[in-house]
Amino acid sequence: MSEDKLRRYEKMDFLGEGQFATVYKALDRQTGKIVAVKKIKMGSRAEAEDGINRTALREIKLLQELQHENVIGLLDAFGHKSNVSLVFDFMDTDLEIIIKDMTLVLKQSDVKAYTLMTLRGLEYLHMNWILHRDLKPNNLLVTSSGVLKLGDFGLAKYYGSPNRIYTHQVVTRWYRAPELLFGAQMYGTGVDVWAVGCILAELLLRIPFLAGDSDLDQLTKIFMAMGTPTEETWSGVTALPSYVQFKVFPGTRLQDIFTAASDELLDVLRSLLALDPARRGTCASVLKLPYFSSRPAPSPGHLLPLPAEISARKKEVDRPSIKRRIVESAEESGMGGLAKKLIF
Amino acid sequence: MKSSGTCPQCDVPLRRNGFRVQLFEDAGVEKDIDIRRRILREFNKQEEEFATLREYNDYLEDVETIIYNLVNGIDVLATNKKIEAYKRDNRESIVRNRARGRTEEDELDEILQMENELNEERAREEQERLQAEKRNKVQKKEALIDELMTSYGDAKKIVASHTKVAEPEAPVAPKPRPKPTQFSSGVRIGSTRLPAVPIVPQDEGEPFVYAAPELAMDGPAAPDSERLSADGYLSHIKRVGDAERAGGYAASLGCLRALQEGMAGLLFFPGADG
Repeated sequence: MSEDKLRRYEKMDFLGEGQFATVYKALDRQTGKIVAVKKIKMGSRAEAEDGINRTALREIKLLQELQHENVIGLLDAFGHKSNVSLVFDFMDTDLEIIIKDMTLVLKQSDVKAYTLMTLRGLEYLHMNWILHRDLKPNNLLVTSSGVLKLGDFGLAKYYGSPNRIYTHQVVTRWYRAPELLFGAQMYGTGVDVWAVGCILAELLLRIPFLAGDSDLDQLTKIFMAMGTPTEETWSGVTALPSYVQFKVFPGTRLQDIFTAASDELLDVLRSLLALDPARRGTCASVLKLPYFSSRPAPSPGHLLPLPAEISARKKEVDRPSIKRRIVESAEESGMGGLAKKLIF
Repeated sequence: MKSSGTCPQCDVPLRRNGFRVQLFEDAGVEKDIDIRRRILREFNKQEEEFATLREYNDYLEDVETIIYNLVNGIDVLATNKKIEAYKRDNRESIVRNRARGRTEEDELDEILQMENELNEERAREEQERLQAEKRNKVQKKEALIDELMTSYGDAKKIVASHTKVAEPEAPVAPKPRPKPTQFSSGVRIGSTRLPAVPIVPQDEGEPFVYAAPELAMDGPAAPDSERLSADGYLSHIKRVGDAERAGGYAASLGCLRALQEGMAGLLFFPGADG
């Protein structure tokens, strides 16, 4: 059977490599669709003895039961020899690329659309008792038709068990909620909601909102922005496992940080970035805030900005590809202006 | 090699990376510039920040006094205290102005770089033109000699025809080099700033209306979270400690999940309706 699967997907291009996997662009011969094939690395012998890689197992276990427009679809999974490969929807870009591409203008309606899609996907996950635990712009994948999907479920986990202890070493530091930084071992949807708050702030500022260079520095940055918590503002905070008393910052008014944001948008940020997870909004409560239903309406997918390379690829299907043109112009000028392709 | 030490004569601590080439003959000027640079890093207020020109001028005078005092060693202690106080009171505006100064500097850098590129381009074109001319001349000379060598015609005529041909030599415009638009890593060269054109907000698309997603339960619906405590469901579940609550866990979470899991699939009849 795996032999059939191997033949079903035709490798087209190398897309990228992460810690645990290599990702290829491939053609599904059965449906004619472009897909992304994530080939899980075997790792060291010691890891191999434990059986299938844990992150891969998580992705397979959780994603095969999920079906939502804003959650990456796991189309297939197959093994070959000792390898495991997962087949996903093909995604053209991600939010990190879009945020960092300063030639792109993100309008209010665009920010609203991205945030909306993120929250809708996340609401669906949370309804199904799943925490993503690694939300960051890099993991919010975007198709060329402007649909955002949550991706990379390598850290995702079921939540809501009354006695199971969870690790607090989750989520990339800049997007990590304060309760995680204080070592909380039982937590809820708040950790994902906080990350969405950081991502929304980053969409507005175009730079990471809270870029700490250590866990303590991260907390300092959070408290400088949102104020240092006390037992009154965050009940039980001193009982958290790695709680430390911080210098008391008054916090900065959000309208001074996000000078161009409307009051309704500030309400959303305030709800997403509430220090006390019990007072932090949930996806559903935030989606009900007036910001999302008021004007300007969220941009429809085809009007969302795309990096030049991708919009060009989309527009000029029949004309020579942009890469080809760069090669030609480089050859004309007798110099190698071509981006180096990495081959593994 | 040691990277720091004290001056053998006056015991002032010195650092290796503190040394640099002297630009001005007069060490006093050098000192003034050093101190000025350091002071202006903190005293970086802009004219717009003052209500009146008078206040701005007073501020500038203050800055000059501070620099003068430091350069000439007058009231150093009091002056340093003044600087510290200023830094404390104006921390935010200092950081803000520094960031703004950076973007302005970046823009200037960019303009300078563009000018440099343009100059280089021109120099290169000029050189290419000269080389082409030289090559042409050599070629013509060789052609003339070749013809003189091989032809049996009148030498004078041949020379005359060659000089005539040489006349109408329109300078060939060099083909403009296509500028590289990206580095070899694929990163775009040049400005990464937003275009200065204002974006007209367009309101296209439907406003969002919230609708709660449906959860396929195949079973009786679990009580919603409001009824959990009202109907006493929570009294049957483990109590939540301070640390758990502060971490964002709530008894209603575990309770609701247990209820949902208990009821999910109870009304699932395979094959009943496909």
